[in-house]
Amino acid sequence: MARSWRNFFRKTEEPEQETVQTAEEAEAPDSAEDVPTAEEVQARQDTPQATKVLEEEAAEEALEEAEAGEPEVLPEPDVVEEAPDEEAAAEEQEVRSGGWFGRLRTGLKRSRESMVGQLNAAIAEFRGTEDEEFWERVEEILISSDVGVKTTGKLVGELEQEALERNITSGEQLRGLMLEHAERMLEGPVELDVSHKPTVILMVGVNGTGKTTTIGKLVNFLPGKAMLAAGDTFRAAAIEQLQRWGERVGAPVVTRERGADSAAVAHDAVEAAKRDGADVLLIDTAGRLHTKVNLMAELEKVRRVIERQLPGAPHEVLLTVDATTGQNGLRQAKMFNEVVNLTGIILTKLDGTAKGGIALAIANEIGVPIKLISVGEQVGDLHPFDPREFAEALFGEL
Amino acid sequence: MFDTLGERLNTALDGVRGSGNLTEEGVKKVTREIRLALLEADVNYGVVKEFVGNVRERATGAEVSKALSPGQQVVKIVNEELASLMGGTAHKLSFASRPPTVVMLAGLNGHGKTTTAGKLALFVRKQGKNPYLVACDTYRPAAIEQLQQIGKELSVPVYTEGTEAKPEEIAERGIKKARDEGYDFVIVDTAGRQVLDMDMMEEIKRVRTATKPHNVLLVLDVVTGQNAVEVAQAFQEYADFDGMVLTKLDGDARGGAALSVVSVTERPVRFASEGEKMSEFDYFYPDRMAGRILGMGDVMSLIEKAEAQVDKKEAEAQSKKLMSGKFTFEDFLQQMQMIKKMGPLSSLIGMIPGMNKQLQGANLNDLDDKALGRVEAMITSMTVQERRNAKLLQNPSRARRIARGSGSTQQDVQKLVKQFGEMQKMMRQMGKGGAPKRMPRMPFR
Repeated sequence: MARSWRNFFRKTEEPEQETVQTAEEAEAPDSAEDVPTAEEVQARQDTPQATKVLEEEAAEEALEEAEAGEPEVLPEPDVVEEAPDEEAAAEEQEVRSGGWFGRLRTGLKRSRESMVGQLNAAIAEFRGTEDEEFWERVEEILISSDVGVKTTGKLVGELEQEALERNITSGEQLRGLMLEHAERMLEGPVELDVSHKPTVILMVGVNGTGKTTTIGKLVNFLPGKAMLAAGDTFRAAAIEQLQRWGERVGAPVVTRERGADSAAVAHDAVEAAKRDGADVLLIDTAGRLHTKVNLMAELEKVRRVIERQLPGAPHEVLLTVDATTGQNGLRQAKMFNEVVNLTGIILTKLDGTAKGGIALAIANEIGVPIKLISVGEQVGDLHPFDPREFAEALFGEL
Repeated sequence: MFDTLGERLNTALDGVRGSGNLTEEGVKKVTREIRLALLEADVNYGVVKEFVGNVRERATGAEVSKALSPGQQVVKIVNEELASLMGGTAHKLSFASRPPTVVMLAGLNGHGKTTTAGKLALFVRKQGKNPYLVACDTYRPAAIEQLQQIGKELSVPVYTEGTEAKPEEIAERGIKKARDEGYDFVIVDTAGRQVLDMDMMEEIKRVRTATKPHNVLLVLDVVTGQNAVEVAQAFQEYADFDGMVLTKLDGDARGGAALSVVSVTERPVRFASEGEKMSEFDYFYPDRMAGRILGMGDVMSLIEKAEAQVDKKEAEAQSKKLMSGKFTFEDFLQQMQMIKKMGPLSSLIGMIPGMNKQLQGANLNDLDDKALGRVEAMITSMTVQERRNAKLLQNPSRARRIARGSGSTQQDVQKLVKQFGEMQKMMRQMGKGGAPKRMPRMPFR
């Protein structure tokens, strides 16, 4: 369910419509310059300050050197390695035992074993489209993955009909069809628009879904000069948490005191980003339950202030959704979308037993695309979303 | 998008409520709806199967009471089954005979352990304990600072050793220090972890062994989905928790996860945490929760909540005054301040029986606490005479002055006065024993 970082950041105003291969060829020459390649990211993480030291002014060097004494927690080496062809990479990753995907697989194993075992058994016994028990089993598996009653109903209904129309009798064909349908439901623009200067990315979400942590990870992969804004002025030590992340990658962090107006922080940050020529500004916000009217109004104000300071901004508004979330994830996505117009979802904490089926429900019912997934606590555990692999992980190796 | 579990069950039961006889067909229809509702509420698939089976069996069985109609019978069965699933009655905290009582918190990342640590500290202090916090989350950046800031807010000491030491050692030394300094309630905050991270699960096991806690609480976000069962089973294996804290209950998640976890691990939910204020924390009452899920309201909780904040005698005097129609703006102001102490209005409304259903069409967003503040501003801008005698306010120049003083418009003031008059009238009617035909609009709506 992860893609490479290549092509993830859209740097031109026009969305790229070419196929994967051509797009990659076209991107290849300049990607070495701006988009941090796998090796670059790797290098940056091996020696956390190496890349930044080259980029930043001498004034910041001293500060960073003080930091450099502390070794960083390193991500798995093969986490960001990239094969030239994406399809090949996906296959290779499946074969590979290590890496994030391997870990995710082991992660999902326990729960998947029973689930997939059941589905396999059902497929083996598949007697034809009139097999009520079979469809019930598929339903059961999807619901157990938090896909939800409604989306499950839609998916199973579509499958049933297509299987009937195409007169499918083999379990193998059926498996392909299931993946195809799930994948189609998840398709959407997955790249992150960073074509503006500065590009402003606003991070929103319910308490504890991982906004600040995701910012800390994402900043490592962003092209150009990044700046952070500590818009969570409410939770204890949220500002310090973001500052810690900023120090690690050498990105400046715009802050005000705890309890300050979050919109004021956003205002300062946009001004600072314009003044200092930052390429990407990541604005953190306090976690809020989507049911709190006042807090949602506050968030709307943050968005408005950003827009006023920089017309067209925020260019990306990303909602973090905890993969362990059940059907309430739909409410979250719906309410946040209404208030701040989401451009994408980041599915976090996909490293546990959770299958993240709620992503399917959100894509189907709310229509906001999943852009990133986080499968672990390390920086290298953040990945661009890949619908195909997500569908495969959902249904398992059948 | 979809209704709450309570609303769903109510819809399903509506047909049954009216019917005189409980046919097999009727039971089937109802249980199908219950199944869907529970699944949408994130109750685990297996648990739903079991639950629905029980309800069906009991409903079609011989259990027919003379006092209840068959429809009422199903409602009662569903309620009872839910309550028994949730673990019956409230499980209060027991304190160690030889202090300090040690409580360890464990859970997934982001489910609210650190906040719960602070809330629990305040909660036990209200019960006369002397709490002490130990910060063992050495992983998440600034987690220790978060606990320190919370401790400072509450004036509860926080034991820290930075991020280098091992959590189990920090915990051990922290507890020793608490004991030496005479604190009798120690709360050990641990890092959030994923259940498949074996190193981290082994670590929580070591912390548990080192701290020998009297209580281990699993902190669980109420939005958790189907995997809640696996999560709870893993924590049961490694941390052997004996109770749960259900967090973020102030959201609109239906909390089916709690139902599944309790039924699978047979560990009760002990505490309910429902807001960002440190005081929004209480024992969890499973029997009442079941009623709340079913939309029957949670009168008991509401009453207790009110009692904790309000002096009983004062309340009695107030209600007498209320019913006699001698209710003034002064009383109204006092009541509003009490209500504010009890928590956000929208959470209180859900506790009133029948309110859930009545308010379905209404926009709860109007009920924001800011509106309460505006009314408060208007009343505080009144003179004492005006507060006692609302009739004076019919004078436009008085209304103008109040509007200026409270930053509202003259229309706002007039509206308030009018609605207040209606309220007085209604109260008088209620005092005489007759219920009003229609609830008048509350001034703060």
